Amino acid sequence: MAESPVSSHDSAIILDRGYRSYHGPRTGRRGAMAAVVKEGYRRVLGLRRKAKRKLFPWTLIALALGSAAVLVAIEWVSSSLPISLDTSDLFPRYSGYFDFISNVALLFAAFAGPQLLVPDRTQGVLNVYFSRPLGVRDYLVAKAATFAAVILSFWLVPQILLHLGYAALSPAGFLSYLGGTTDILWKVPAAALVYFAMHGSLAFLVASFVNRVGAAAAGIVAVLLGLNLVALLFQEVGLAPGTKWTSLLALEQHPRFVRDWIFDLEASITIPAQAGFGPEASLMVVIGCAVVSVLLVGWRYRRLT
Amino acid sequence: MIDGPTGQRHADSPIIETRDLHKHFGQVRALAGVDLKVPPGITGLVGANGAGKTTLIRLLLGLTAPTSGEVAVFGTPVSRDAAGLRARIGYMPEGRCLPLDQTAADFVAYAAELAGIPPAEARRRASETLFLVGLHEERFRYLGDFSTGMQQRVKLAQSIVHDPRLVLLDEPASGLDPAGRDQMLEVIDRFRGFGMNVLFSSHLLEDIEQTCDWVVMLDGGRLLRSAPLDPPGDGTAVSVEVFDDPLPLVAALTARGIEVTYAGRVVTAMSSSEDGFVEVRDALAASGSSVRAMGTDLRSLEDVFMAATKESNG
Repeated sequence: MAESPVSSHDSAIILDRGYRSYHGPRTGRRGAMAAVVKEGYRRVLGLRRKAKRKLFPWTLIALALGSAAVLVAIEWVSSSLPISLDTSDLFPRYSGYFDFISNVALLFAAFAGPQLLVPDRTQGVLNVYFSRPLGVRDYLVAKAATFAAVILSFWLVPQILLHLGYAALSPAGFLSYLGGTTDILWKVPAAALVYFAMHGSLAFLVASFVNRVGAAAAGIVAVLLGLNLVALLFQEVGLAPGTKWTSLLALEQHPRFVRDWIFDLEASITIPAQAGFGPEASLMVVIGCAVVSVLLVGWRYRRLT
Repeated sequence: MIDGPTGQRHADSPIIETRDLHKHFGQVRALAGVDLKVPPGITGLVGANGAGKTTLIRLLLGLTAPTSGEVAVFGTPVSRDAAGLRARIGYMPEGRCLPLDQTAADFVAYAAELAGIPPAEARRRASETLFLVGLHEERFRYLGDFSTGMQQRVKLAQSIVHDPRLVLLDEPASGLDPAGRDQMLEVIDRFRGFGMNVLFSSHLLEDIEQTCDWVVMLDGGRLLRSAPLDPPGDGTAVSVEVFDDPLPLVAALTARGIEVTYAGRVVTAMSSSEDGFVEVRDALAASGSSVRAMGTDLRSLEDVFMAATKESNG
């Protein structure tokens, strides 16, 4: 057999293969949506971006994780004291932790929502998205999935740290603690989902209409806290016969009311509760806000494209 | 032809085909009755602002639906499988389309993934494509730090990174200095070697002349001309501008078996004989046409465009 002509060039290396045709698999719409999710995650967390882009999200993440670590540390210190001290009344546990970091989480959602939508729109990148096998609905579904994953991670990862920390420090033992608190496994995610539905839907809605990330973030916080103030004023002053219904404007309060319902707690002093509404009404408001937001965001993007 | 199956096309089958294509935006008529067949190769899409170039490109991508008529790419109606077609089409928008906080390599790889290329291959292809457009050294720099020319090249890279069969370039040389324009056109010219077909929209007619094989002219939403830029053949191309109606001359030339194109009052005859002037002279005598100017076909594309526009506007 003749010697292969390649053998005389064994030491040769290819420095540049140049532009080539592609004959491999193509992943279609699903692959495109997965790419949008991955890139959205990177954008929110500032990954593969300049250092200054990482500062704000990672500061908030550090606050959330740090507070969980501090609570576990307090539990550890109190458990090593010679006297028995019940820290559950002094420091927040699972349900209370939601209150503990709700403002930080609100800031994170107000930052993440605009980051996901605004630059694509203002920098013209939608032209690239929609010239690929990706429709408006695919794009929005992928962005919403990214937003949900980021925000739910923000709520849940510190809770998982808390849970594992408390379990490790439990006098009953790690496994006994986990076995005795299985209800936490659905209650915490359910409450986190309610918070996401309210914060997230509002953040997406505002981010769809405002063309500056900072202004959108400020707008989200202002709307949530401002409506609280409006509802409170109406309730305190009692100007009109329909004042009771204005308490439902306190959007920021509804997730807390529903969370208390999920954890079977005595209702905290929320504006809707003071007006005589039950948690079911708050849940309906949360669902209603999410539905209205989905419809308006979809309408906005159909018009844009 | 417009209903033919994808992938089973003759080499000369049109890449783009439209039939009686209309697009209205409210009272505004963007395209009116465009019948078009664009062959493989590099095609220039010429027209003034508002001629309907971008609307045609958006219709080809399936981003907007025609008011009436049909549009097909690779023989497949766009309305049947717009997403599937877009996986094999590249698009370079005229305006901004770059996320300024990403590196060139990250963005071009992302653009490849959006077109369905798996992530590892997308990164490899992004590197190769940025090398092709002359940005290999700068690929890890942030797009916000790029000059206009470099950004145009990144836009071009994202449009071809997924190995499309058709690339739609909307004013690719806009905003570039003369040297940058030449480099951009040189890269586009290299696409032929990769088996890509290009539809290249521009209002700079010199760019079209320099790069394209075929030209499509639009004016006010109407098709003025869809023809080869350099008519093929071994013979001589002779242009005659007549004072009156060119049709008698066209008929006389056609009767002599000469291939003829005309725009306005300018008739171009593709003679296969050694001296095309003799045949044209005889045809002129037979038709009784009065000659205003005559010569070898050295008219610029601008002359053709202006003549066609004038003719179209009466």
